[in-house]
Amino acid sequence: MKTTTFLSLLLTTFSPALISEAKPLSYVGGTMVMQENDETGHTVSLDYTFIPTNAFGFYLKQEENGKEILMVTPEFNTLLKRWNLPDGQGNIFNMTGAGLARYQGNNQPCLWTAFLADYESRRWFFSYEPRFVWDGDIEKSVWQRTRIGIAPYLAKYNDLNTWIMFQVDHHPAKHDHFVATPLIRFFYKTYLFEVGYSSNQHIMINWQIQF
Amino acid sequence: MKNYLLTLVVIFGLTAAVSADTIKATVNGMVCGFCATGIEKTFKAQPEVKTVDVDLENKLVTIQTKQGQTLQDSKIKKLLGNAGYSVVAVARQK
Repeated sequence: MKTTTFLSLLLTTFSPALISEAKPLSYVGGTMVMQENDETGHTVSLDYTFIPTNAFGFYLKQEENGKEILMVTPEFNTLLKRWNLPDGQGNIFNMTGAGLARYQGNNQPCLWTAFLADYESRRWFFSYEPRFVWDGDIEKSVWQRTRIGIAPYLAKYNDLNTWIMFQVDHHPAKHDHFVATPLIRFFYKTYLFEVGYSSNQHIMINWQIQF
Repeated sequence: MKNYLLTLVVIFGLTAAVSADTIKATVNGMVCGFCATGIEKTFKAQPEVKTVDVDLENKLVTIQTKQGQTLQDSKIKKLLGNAGYSVVAVARQK
């Protein structure tokens, strides 16, 4: 079995990955394991928050819906700005990684960076994320993602939280320029799970655990 | 009379020494279970803390300290700041 095939299977089945719409920072001393499986591919990340504004970790992505590129990088997440409001919280984050990309046996240096702006109250959620990826000679890409969400009921801390969300991705370089994904998010304490179905007929399954 | 006063002072002092604080911090930015868990874990790791309760609806973090121990306002603000939140007010009762 090819290494990339094996890693894809591993990512899809067991490993954790980056949910870019969830916050990329935890509390100081907290560790996050995240996984994202959607129409762009399979992503895994593991991050440790060492100061209130920064987390350091590991990022692995197997791209699909185009070139099947495998990226492996350390990642560094930074809280650039936070607004703590009486009924909500707004944030701007940067996530950056530099490492290796592999495509059809060709290894190249790679670099990616993304900015995530979000606002969340107990009722509403909004996020916007532009992402820039440079995979050496393999590919250079820019894409963006936005999400809106509403909580149908206001859950208490110990209750199961439910969100109905709608996500739109814009990938100028891919076959499907715009992809819409309605999804449902559940979270309970430190466990988050999302499931959705995209307009280009891919199932989305994301999860995150903090400990 | 002197012994009586001394006894009162000792009793009062002992009572104060063994009492616990109930601290209510009003916090901005708490909106979800992840927020609450981070705050709960942060305070439970403090040796002075007996219990922590997070009330998202009323934006309150209620901390009960162990007998004879307390948490200074500055420490509460620092801990909540490190967890990513802003303290609006701190109220105490013995």
